[in-house]
Amino acid sequence: MKLLFSCSLLLFITAACLSGSASSRKLRGISSSYKRFYRERRSFLCIDGSRVIPFEQVNDDYCDCEDGSDEPGTSACPRGRFYCTNLGFRPHYIPSSRVNDGICDCCDASDEYNSHARCQNSCWNLGQKERAYVEGQMRTLDEGLQLKQQLIEEGVLLWREKQAQLRELQQVAEDLQIKLEEHRRRKQEAEQNLKALEAGHTRVRRQNSSESTFRLLDSNNDGSLSVEELQEKLVLVQEEELLLSEEEAVALMGGGRQMDLPMFQQSLWDVLNTEERVKIRGSVDAEDPHLKAADTAAEREASSLKKVEEAYDTISMEISDLRTKLAIDYGPDWEFLFLNSQCYKLSVYEYTYTLCPFNQVTQESAAGTEVSLGSPLAPLPEMASATIARAAVMIMEWRKTLA
Amino acid sequence: MATFTERMAPVLVLWLAVFLSGTWAVDKGNFKTCDQSSFCKRQRALKPGESPYRALLETMELTNTRLTLQLINDNNKVRLLLELYRLQGNMTRVKINELKPLKPRYEVPDVLIREPPTEPLSLLSQDENGVVLSLGAESQRVILSARPFRLDIMEGRDVVMSLNSRGLLAFEHLRMRKDTSQADPEAEKKEEAEPETQPEAAKEEEKDEAGMWEETFKSHTDSKPNGPSAVSLDFSLPGVEHVYGIPEHADTLRLKTTENGDPYRLYNLDVFQYELYNPMALYGAVPVMLAHNAQRTTGIFWLNAAETWVDISSNTAGKTVFGKMLDYVQGSSETPQTDVRWISESGIIDVFIMLGPTPKDIFSQYASLTGTQAFPPLAAVGYHQCRWNYNDQEDVAAVDAGFDEHDIPYDYIWLDIEHTDGKRYFTWDPHKFATPKEMLQGLMDKKRKMVAIVDPHIKVDCNYKIHNEIRSRSFYIKNKDGGDYEGWCWPGSAGYPDFTRTDMRDWWASMFAYDQYEGSMENLYTWNDMNEPSVFNGPEVTMHKDAMHGAWEHRDVHNLYGFYVHMATAEGLIQRSGGVERPFVLTRAFFAGSQRYGAVWTGDNAAEWEHLKISIPMCLSLGLVGISFCGADVGGFFKSPNTELLVRWYQTGAYQPFFRAHAHLDTPRREPWLFGPENTALIREAVRQRYTLLPYWYLQFYNAHRTGEPIMRPLWVEYPQDPATFALEDEFLIGRDLLVHPVTEEGARGVTAYLPGKDELWFDVHTFQKHNGAQSLYIPVTMSSIPVFQRGGSIIPRKIRVRRSSSCMTHDPYTLYVALNPQRTAEGELYIDDGHTFNYEKEFIHRRLSFASNLLSSVNLAPDAQFSTRSWIERIVILGASKPSKVILKTDDGQESQVEFDFDASMSVLTVRKPGMNAGADWSLMLQ
Repeated sequence: MKLLFSCSLLLFITAACLSGSASSRKLRGISSSYKRFYRERRSFLCIDGSRVIPFEQVNDDYCDCEDGSDEPGTSACPRGRFYCTNLGFRPHYIPSSRVNDGICDCCDASDEYNSHARCQNSCWNLGQKERAYVEGQMRTLDEGLQLKQQLIEEGVLLWREKQAQLRELQQVAEDLQIKLEEHRRRKQEAEQNLKALEAGHTRVRRQNSSESTFRLLDSNNDGSLSVEELQEKLVLVQEEELLLSEEEAVALMGGGRQMDLPMFQQSLWDVLNTEERVKIRGSVDAEDPHLKAADTAAEREASSLKKVEEAYDTISMEISDLRTKLAIDYGPDWEFLFLNSQCYKLSVYEYTYTLCPFNQVTQESAAGTEVSLGSPLAPLPEMASATIARAAVMIMEWRKTLA
Repeated sequence: MATFTERMAPVLVLWLAVFLSGTWAVDKGNFKTCDQSSFCKRQRALKPGESPYRALLETMELTNTRLTLQLINDNNKVRLLLELYRLQGNMTRVKINELKPLKPRYEVPDVLIREPPTEPLSLLSQDENGVVLSLGAESQRVILSARPFRLDIMEGRDVVMSLNSRGLLAFEHLRMRKDTSQADPEAEKKEEAEPETQPEAAKEEEKDEAGMWEETFKSHTDSKPNGPSAVSLDFSLPGVEHVYGIPEHADTLRLKTTENGDPYRLYNLDVFQYELYNPMALYGAVPVMLAHNAQRTTGIFWLNAAETWVDISSNTAGKTVFGKMLDYVQGSSETPQTDVRWISESGIIDVFIMLGPTPKDIFSQYASLTGTQAFPPLAAVGYHQCRWNYNDQEDVAAVDAGFDEHDIPYDYIWLDIEHTDGKRYFTWDPHKFATPKEMLQGLMDKKRKMVAIVDPHIKVDCNYKIHNEIRSRSFYIKNKDGGDYEGWCWPGSAGYPDFTRTDMRDWWASMFAYDQYEGSMENLYTWNDMNEPSVFNGPEVTMHKDAMHGAWEHRDVHNLYGFYVHMATAEGLIQRSGGVERPFVLTRAFFAGSQRYGAVWTGDNAAEWEHLKISIPMCLSLGLVGISFCGADVGGFFKSPNTELLVRWYQTGAYQPFFRAHAHLDTPRREPWLFGPENTALIREAVRQRYTLLPYWYLQFYNAHRTGEPIMRPLWVEYPQDPATFALEDEFLIGRDLLVHPVTEEGARGVTAYLPGKDELWFDVHTFQKHNGAQSLYIPVTMSSIPVFQRGGSIIPRKIRVRRSSSCMTHDPYTLYVALNPQRTAEGELYIDDGHTFNYEKEFIHRRLSFASNLLSSVNLAPDAQFSTRSWIERIVILGASKPSKVILKTDDGQESQVEFDFDASMSVLTVRKPGMNAGADWSLMLQ
């Protein structure tokens, strides 16, 4: 059985050799998977089934089939294709129009069997190069994967760290919130206390003090206020350090230069009490120690509240920053997290480009003018991670050029 | 230099601002109307009437070759000299100059290919009123009337053409400026010496008008040191209602009357975003007009290179079709007549009257004067891929690869100005095109070629070799004060070489030598742009008229500048190969005779349907005056076409002689594969149709080169007696045998094509459907339709194996398409040569293919020529055939063999399978 098979194989090979060029012509430009359509018979059926032609008309340099299937090895059919076997490299199809056009397309030179083009079989060399290239690619890929794994680990750690940081900040913020409320309450109480004291004090002043105030102002006790006396004792509320000018003093006395008690009670006394623009130097409030204590307490509460508020705002901002950063898509495993807060530079002709991923890209010319090219990798949560991956590849290449 | 740059910077900025502002129309205010051109205004103010010119018959001299006599202007007594020649080939030349001009007036050199050979004139009769001369046989005569002077060319009893019949002959004689002539005793002495020719009294009558001695347009002043110098003459054409030609205008094929607007203007200008359907001047000027009616075609060639205006009027222009019909019925109509008047700013009157009588006679007459279309390398007839700009070598390689990837053939890829080192022509950008030879070799490996731009404005830069050489040889055009003329163009400040000088042109040509033009190789060809010349800061964006070309003013030579640039460049490409290789040079500016140097295109058009449409009449008009190698930027230069427009433009451009896509720098990329697979397929199909027809196209170029006949021609050229064809401009013929009606309407569902010839048959080249002639045929169309018809009675060779480029198809076999006429006969030609050298003058195959009595045979038309080809005949398709019982091939060795065939009874198409004879051999094929 085995012997019989070998013999018939031998016979077949011999037959193939004897039939010689005709047979090789018939088989030209056909891939092994299509060879079944081209078995030597009396007739050939176009592969699209449209027509039957004598088998001699296969690869006879005349297009008979609509689909070009009768001329796989010549340029005769407009829509035909030629199979380059390219032993040692990758096989592929070329359009029939490239068969015998004087340009070497198949690396095995099989497309230029009848042209002046001197094509050499370069498939083995190409294959070598290809294999070397693929190996190189594999190595690079491995290295890249390792690097990626490392970046993922770093990224995960960093991510957790940031998450922890966020939680911590949130805790602090909560504490501050409680403090804040406490301080608000205390400030309110102090203010209410102060207001109540002030209201009582003012009433007392109103009833009793017009004469005493007059006396206080009347430095030389002559029963009449002069311009000089007013300048000495009164000041503007906003500008305590400055003396009243003579004109201002005269104006306060209604245009005269002297003022007796009844006149004082009718005019200046009201001004001093109702309008809050003029007051007695050294302030009459200082006189009341209760009032003074209440006032100090209120101020103290206000200032400590302000401090707590500021602390709270700062923390809130930090939280919001961190949240924004954490909202960016750093890839499914946070492998691109490390790019945040890094910047890369590239010089092209007279321009220097700076790329800060997730932030911005700028172009600086040699003359020093800087132009923002936008923020291609800016916080865009919807940005596909594939885009970021492409950008990262670009950055890695960029790094290589820098190195 | 620095100060100049500083001074010019604002101009450039302003210019750029205009350029970028995106107002999509020409700024008409930048260009003169007739009223703003003082000589045109002066001349046009003259109204028809009795001419002041009188022929002095006693001065007549008649020699064997010419007649001369003097004309006198009775108003100013200035005398002119008239020369009249009868030229070989049924032409008459009329030359009028001042008898004694103050200084010589410019006569255009280099445009005529030789001094036109004359034929004897004979005097038939003479009396005191005039003379009658015979123009040879066919009862053609010239009647010269003396008082007033006029010429009438007669055929039998019919007037074919009259000159000065409306009395508009005008000749502004050169004169001394009044304020200077008083102070110039020499001039006065001269006047005393010749009192009879220029009496004082007569001379004083003439008044100086504004604009005679100086003229200002916008901010530019023309110093006009020679004063007024215009010439003008009128021509009447009885029986003529259709006139054509005088390109370049973006207007209809049939010229319009100009009474209600400006005349047609001929003045080479770089018009930014030109407007359609008006008589404004464009980039080129060919002062040739054809007049046609059903009986006769005549032509007028006004050989003058100065600014020229052409007025056209007609006595039937205002009439409606109904009015004309009424006239006809009542028999009361006066003969229709077209009157034409030519006005030029300087020079002389030198006019060639071509008497036809057929359109083809006109083409051969004009060709005998100015030459024929240069025979281009075959590749130049293929498809050209251009863009401002392909950015760098990688870009070029990527586009080249794109064509292979999408299986679209092309032959040339083009580089615009950005490829240079700072707009210094003959150089390469050191970063983007660092290794041009590598790039060119890459293209050569694919059997493809490149065109790089070389403009005539030369950057003023003392580190630039070309500039230094031109300056040191004093080759630059001079300004009126004698310094080198400088203008603003792409490189900034630029000089303009004086191409009117032979020594300058020789030097320029030598710059294309491979050792001079660094980075060039034999597959690099040239494109001359901006050669009107374009001067951004000059009057009307061109050169000051008072700039000097040696002794002549730019005014005298303006329209010749681009012609000379083109000439010198083509010569350079010939010389670099030692005279072996045919050049290919594209030019934007042109003049009469430019056809001898290469191709032209219609300049900076726009991506609009109207621009697609007008590409047809614009190229038809150019073809009529000898310039066959014409095309428009496919896709439109300015703006971005939508895909429908782009596809339709490819389909139209594939059937026009020069087939190049081009686009402005600011437009999105538009390589054929950028619009989705469907549109890529449509464009691929259009380009492939072009390539299958290359054998036919190449034959048309060969014939145009031999005969001067247009390649792309209006229907009336082949059907001169059919008035229905006279104004057709949405369809055209390629040669005699292909009729093309491209789809140029947006969203078209169908087109109506007029198929001419009442005894003709026309076969749809795609479906083989047969149609009768002399009918308007509605053709439904889809996006893939390009309505093309083959004339019954013709044989068209094709190569249907479309490859990467035309060179790849050199050895491919032919398919012959035989379309039978009602008499069941057909004729055609087959032309083959090496496709790129001047050896075609001796080495070529030219065969007549004819079909009659069921016998198709190939006969050698050039038995003395030698050429052999590997190409063979792979298929013969006979349209309108009946089924034979057998087909027998007889080869030149006497052998007979039976050939297989296939017959499609439904379409009456017989396909003969693989007859296999060599394309250069004698053979016959018998249908039995």
